[in-house]
Amino acid sequence: MLQLDVAIIGAGGAGLYAALSAIKKNPSLRVGVITKVFPTRSHTGAAQGGVNAALSNVAEDSPEKHTYDTIKGSDFLADQDAVELMCHIAPKIIREMEHMGLPFSRLENGKIAQRPFGGASFPRTCYAADKTGHVMLQTLYEQCIRRNVKFFNEWFVTALVHDEQKVCGLIAIDMKSGKIEVIRAKAVILATGGHARIYWRRTSNALGCTGDGTAIALKAGVPLKDMEFVQFHPTGLRRTGILVTEGARGEGGYLINKDGERFMKRYAPEKMELAPRDLVSRAIETEIAEGRGFRDNEGNEFVYLDLRHLGKKKIMERLPQIRELAIDFEGIDPIEEPIPIRPTAHYCMGGVDTDIDGKTIIDGLFAAGECACVSVHGANRLGGNSLLDIVVFGKITGELASEYATSSQLSEFPISALKDERQKIESLFEKDGKEKLADLRNKLSDILTYGAGIFREEGRLKEALDKVKEIKERAQHLKVEDLSYTFNTNLQQTLEFLNMVELAEVTVMTALERRESRGAHYRVDYPKRDDKNFLKHSIVTLENGEYKLSYKPVNITKYKPEERKY
Amino acid sequence: MAEAKKVILRISRFNPEFDEKPHFQDFEIEIPKGMTVLEALYFIKENIDPTLTFRGFCRSAICGSCSVKVNGHPKLACKTQIWQEIERFGTNILKIEPLGNMKVIRDLAVDFSEAEEKLKKVKPYLIPDPEVIPDTNDEESIVYPEEMEKFDKFTDCILCGTCYSMCPAVMFIDDYAGPFQFGRIFRFAEDPRDGLKKERSKIAYAFELWKCIRCERCADICPKHIHPVEAVTHLRAMSIEKGLTLNPGARHAIAFYKSVTSTGMLNEAILPIMSKGIKGVLENMPVALSFLLKGKMPPPIVKPIEDIEGFKKVVSLSAEVE
Repeated sequence: MLQLDVAIIGAGGAGLYAALSAIKKNPSLRVGVITKVFPTRSHTGAAQGGVNAALSNVAEDSPEKHTYDTIKGSDFLADQDAVELMCHIAPKIIREMEHMGLPFSRLENGKIAQRPFGGASFPRTCYAADKTGHVMLQTLYEQCIRRNVKFFNEWFVTALVHDEQKVCGLIAIDMKSGKIEVIRAKAVILATGGHARIYWRRTSNALGCTGDGTAIALKAGVPLKDMEFVQFHPTGLRRTGILVTEGARGEGGYLINKDGERFMKRYAPEKMELAPRDLVSRAIETEIAEGRGFRDNEGNEFVYLDLRHLGKKKIMERLPQIRELAIDFEGIDPIEEPIPIRPTAHYCMGGVDTDIDGKTIIDGLFAAGECACVSVHGANRLGGNSLLDIVVFGKITGELASEYATSSQLSEFPISALKDERQKIESLFEKDGKEKLADLRNKLSDILTYGAGIFREEGRLKEALDKVKEIKERAQHLKVEDLSYTFNTNLQQTLEFLNMVELAEVTVMTALERRESRGAHYRVDYPKRDDKNFLKHSIVTLENGEYKLSYKPVNITKYKPEERKY
Repeated sequence: MAEAKKVILRISRFNPEFDEKPHFQDFEIEIPKGMTVLEALYFIKENIDPTLTFRGFCRSAICGSCSVKVNGHPKLACKTQIWQEIERFGTNILKIEPLGNMKVIRDLAVDFSEAEEKLKKVKPYLIPDPEVIPDTNDEESIVYPEEMEKFDKFTDCILCGTCYSMCPAVMFIDDYAGPFQFGRIFRFAEDPRDGLKKERSKIAYAFELWKCIRCERCADICPKHIHPVEAVTHLRAMSIEKGLTLNPGARHAIAFYKSVTSTGMLNEAILPIMSKGIKGVLENMPVALSFLLKGKMPPPIVKPIEDIEGFKKVVSLSAEVE
């Protein structure tokens, strides 16, 4: 059996930062990153626009203002102590990454450049053109090489093992050989990213954002928090849902309807295009629903994101990647034509329930980044705060896991867990194959988009819950048809789908029970926020094969909930 | 419904569990306008053959997972439009193969670990210069936009491996670092925050910097439009500056430079002896003899061009601009 002191699952920004911090804290530890893709393929690389920190390089700003904007953006569901912590660490951690060589775009005076982003009162978003996540991921990977972090590339983790109190390790498939392996570890950090792929047909996420870490935690009895909150990014490309950064609006892009009107003036007269994402997404969908959108001959409905007035120079300098994406995937050059866009499932505010330090209820088990819910984003995340979240809580969990591993022993690994897991995986090759993976995945996506998408309502949610349960039942018939050991992607995709179905059920279930509108969770039948009954986090735990829903209070320090206007 | 065309995807298949060598399998499918190679591969996997093996992840040309060869050319499958390829090649058959210079794991998935090991060997990370980088996180280092500009393009590299996959030097020289690896060395060599700076050219040198034949194929196919040969050229100049001149490549470059700057002409006859010494002369003897017999031997003494002073001015001006 392989043994590590700190095992980190996932090699995006959170995982790599955790690995770096763990090994820096105690260089004698065996720190390993287990990742289902080569590290620099992780989805952090797709983050374009930037990362928030009150550096005051462009305008006088402060961590307090950043805190307030984040809490307001979260529709007051975020835990205020956690937000304060994140926003106060932000400037230091940005500089720490800058010292690692991260190539931020610079101002004329040589300082890190900052641009405006949605929901922020100042230009606070540090960026590297429109490839911020990409260079962050590369920089962190480089530093992990420097510190000799051990990587298990293309290992797919299928189970988390603990003894009710302490974590024991994990079980994973080495994709290249097909072998099922145990990795024992003193501490485990989940950093597996989000699960917006449950909206399979319309999402900005990578194909692998299937919430594996969140799902294995759920199956191992670890509670999930605030799973009803899924953010739709306003500007996904018409056909594919591929992301067009908020930076495009930050740089001054307009949203235009069929009548050539900047319709945001009706929804957020002050902030216009730079209102928070939940609001802008609903505005676009409302325009489309009321007949003021466009429709192409494939039946795609959309509005325009117009950058033409920014001019060629600015587009080429600040948004070169966006220009190329528009050319490659829509056949449109934004210098000459507006970009057809529609909201796309983008980010999961909910995830593994942790405290302010990223700890879960199991000793030695931590979670960080999008798979975790601390919570710093509450009901709606602000643009530029996800890259911040991953590095801040990657660092915190990495250091704590390192300390924990330094002062604790490996727990006994129950060998029966391996036997059970092996049996479960092998049984997938022997199913009757009555159902097809792609069919079920598309059906699940349609159910969620209709029933638990941007607009939600009691009847539709109930129907969606029944249907998701039906899909879960039908998924029992899924057969892995590829019988090879070597790089069996058919097996991996089946396991990923089985993870997604569980998370979909929890998402719909919590959305149904939250009878109010807050942030990204919008109930047509309960259009107002209801602080009296719902200023609380939803918690879902698997108990005796059933999902149990409970609630826990929001930590409020000094910002009293108020109406959210932009 | 969008328009569609019938296309044959001729895909290289290989499963080490029962194949001795790869073979092609044809899949004839209807391709609507706008469909990418990656989408077509998923269509086949989901509807025709679940055993088809390939990688794909971000779908938006930023993760570098899905690089394959399309009709012989390495590309990111996710941003390659099938209709465009059909038009480009004038055929409705698209041959999809795994990248070269890497071991095939299965079908289109190749083993990246050798390229990764080579990357790790060249110290692909910033080693902070304490003169530039503040020792606390209360301050940032100052880097001017024009300094950034020198290396910024090289930070676009997504490690997709396409350049590496068709580099002839990688194919024949075991210790050759590879195009993206040189790009990474250069990126740090130019970063004002780096502690090694131009010293990094010595690392490049140790990994056969002079073996690049400058065929530029890496630059032609880079999906991020990076030009690794530029990195190689700059690193070579840096390595000469750092005193690594006792090798045929550097000596050739120096001889070339001296000849051109002193006479305005290239003295081809003495290049072999200048670059490789007596060994070079002996090696080139048969070629020289046949040149002589055909009356094509360049004269060993070259007369400077007429306006040599004007030419020298241009040379020194261009050096200043650099």
